[in-house]
Amino acid sequence: MRTSNDYLKIFLFVTIMFVFLFVGLPAKAADKENCLMCHKYRFMGRIDEDGKRINYNVNEHIYGKTVHHSVPCRDCHTYITKLPHDPVTEEVNCANVCHIKPPFSNENFSHEKIIKIYTESAHAIKPGDSLELKNAKPYCKFCHLNPIYTRVDEKRIAFEKTLLRCLNCHQEKGVTQAYIHVTHRLRHKASRSPQEIVQLCGKCHQDSALMKKLNVSQEGQDAVQTYLRSIHGQSVTLGSQSAADCISCHASSKLHDIYKKDNKKASIYKDNILQTCKQCHKRTNKWLVQIGVHPKAHEEGHPFIHFTSVFFTFALYGTVFSLLGLLMLETRTRKKDGIKFLLRHGTSWRGKLKRRVKK
Amino acid sequence: MSNSSEVIAVPAGERAEEDDYFAYVDGVGNIPRDIYKHVKSEPKGDLPRYSVHIVIQHLLVLFTFLALAATGVPLLFSESLWAHYMISLFGGADIARIVHRVAAFTMMFACAYHVVTIIFGTIRQMISGRFDYKRTMMPRIKDLLDVLHDIRYFLGIAPYRPKMEKFMYKQKLHYFAIIWGNCVLIIAGLALLYPDTMARVFPETLAKLLPQAIEKGVSFPAFFQEFARLMHADEAVMALIVVAFWHWSNVHFVPGRFPLQWTFLTGKITREHQIEEHFLEYINNLKEIPEEREYMKKLLKEKGLETFPKVSVSDLPRIY
Repeated sequence: MRTSNDYLKIFLFVTIMFVFLFVGLPAKAADKENCLMCHKYRFMGRIDEDGKRINYNVNEHIYGKTVHHSVPCRDCHTYITKLPHDPVTEEVNCANVCHIKPPFSNENFSHEKIIKIYTESAHAIKPGDSLELKNAKPYCKFCHLNPIYTRVDEKRIAFEKTLLRCLNCHQEKGVTQAYIHVTHRLRHKASRSPQEIVQLCGKCHQDSALMKKLNVSQEGQDAVQTYLRSIHGQSVTLGSQSAADCISCHASSKLHDIYKKDNKKASIYKDNILQTCKQCHKRTNKWLVQIGVHPKAHEEGHPFIHFTSVFFTFALYGTVFSLLGLLMLETRTRKKDGIKFLLRHGTSWRGKLKRRVKK
Repeated sequence: MSNSSEVIAVPAGERAEEDDYFAYVDGVGNIPRDIYKHVKSEPKGDLPRYSVHIVIQHLLVLFTFLALAATGVPLLFSESLWAHYMISLFGGADIARIVHRVAAFTMMFACAYHVVTIIFGTIRQMISGRFDYKRTMMPRIKDLLDVLHDIRYFLGIAPYRPKMEKFMYKQKLHYFAIIWGNCVLIIAGLALLYPDTMARVFPETLAKLLPQAIEKGVSFPAFFQEFARLMHADEAVMALIVVAFWHWSNVHFVPGRFPLQWTFLTGKITREHQIEEHFLEYINNLKEIPEEREYMKKLLKEKGLETFPKVSVSDLPRIY
């Protein structure tokens, strides 16, 4: 017979186990300088001069799972030299060299190379740009939001199984990190899905008011709209992972080298486009590349295509309504002639003649 | 069978049409046009209509058509909310694409199979001397007259429906619509599937024929591709609507066919349907099938419509 004391013990045990369920393991953010001493407080923040409320909290559990979790704070926030630090006025510079050595390398890591590619692209700020344009152009942080590290658990890449073999020789921590880093980019050009990329580019390029303000050509203003009407766009909207998205064509494997189409380095420059289409359409020829990936004939009022569209609309309604009208007339008369609905053994003409047959 | 014992009304006063009303068949008698209201039918079919090849082709086209529509329509309306649910039934857009292509090639196979059947069937009939172009899908002037006659009947002006052959105007219309639709869908579909090859075949040929258009800056591939995309979608939607609303009503949902006409499975047609809509084919059936002759003779006797066989002068001495 159990006493109430026993029940209390069981209850206590269950409660403790339950609490453990919600207690995460401490995240492994690199915080040598102990910045989290202050920044761990959830409501640490202030109201600035414009009345805008700013929160300076860093959630260690979330940050510890992101790509930058092992980078010490001051590797990016280099302008902080003393504690307590001055109000921050500078942006983070992603081209900084941080104190992390990538596996199998002796150099300290930096995003410098990709930023160099970016600064030559159409999205980089040029000396002659107006203030509006300068503000509208995306910098690193516009697209890269320090996403939570997502692991590829696709069947195509047997993650655990393949990694097990690496562990025969390599140290677990480093090789796992390197392996994840590579495999989650293996599926596509980018680690984002085509839907996410279209959404990301559309954030600015679909905003026709903004595009108009920045003096973008009409072709550029309609780019997202026309793309979504194409077979690529429709497939991507429907959830396809293999159809071409924006950067499939507008960038090479460097991803950040997006140029205007009259730039010779652009992947869509008329001499390079054959190579670009060849990524998917293996038997590309000079005729294929003329096909409009952003079809606009429908809108610009190409007379023949417009005519076909109208013709089909009329043909559709004309056929359907005339045929169905005739069918209804036929059914009405046959009903009056005495046909019954249900086809049974025997005859369907079980009713009475309700129609006056001309005598 | 409320009116089976009634005597069939002969439209008096229309003596000129009386010949139309009765059709004389040797060894059976005078068959009234509206005898279909008095015959007995088996829902699964009494008289032969389609060979087993046609039944197989129809089933192939039926299932591939449904698969094609189910995977194609969500792509056309990809921005709709339901499109995602519908496409996920097939395992996502990338799998649905494969389903669509497999179904398309199966349908093309069914079309080729049909063409082969038609050609060899015709040759076989020609060799045995049974070929009659009136019993085929060949369009004739009579079909146009039949439509007008039928409309007059529907409006209560003409007393009876026209005497039609094995394939009536509706079936011929639909058959040619299918031929047209298939050509459009296959060519446009191939242009979407193999843009590289099709861009080579058609626009290059066009460009050679019209070099001055190229100089003006007209891009044939862009135009052709856009045209193909438009045609594929429009034609497919039209086919889907016509099949869903017209064809299925005609064959399964109108009175006398509801709930299911078995012809597409058994290849046989009910007697009342055959006489009503394919009277001339029924006359052929009477000539070809002895059992049917016996049945009709018995029925005419029941109705008191027996006639003595017409005697021609040349037969007189023998009978005498």
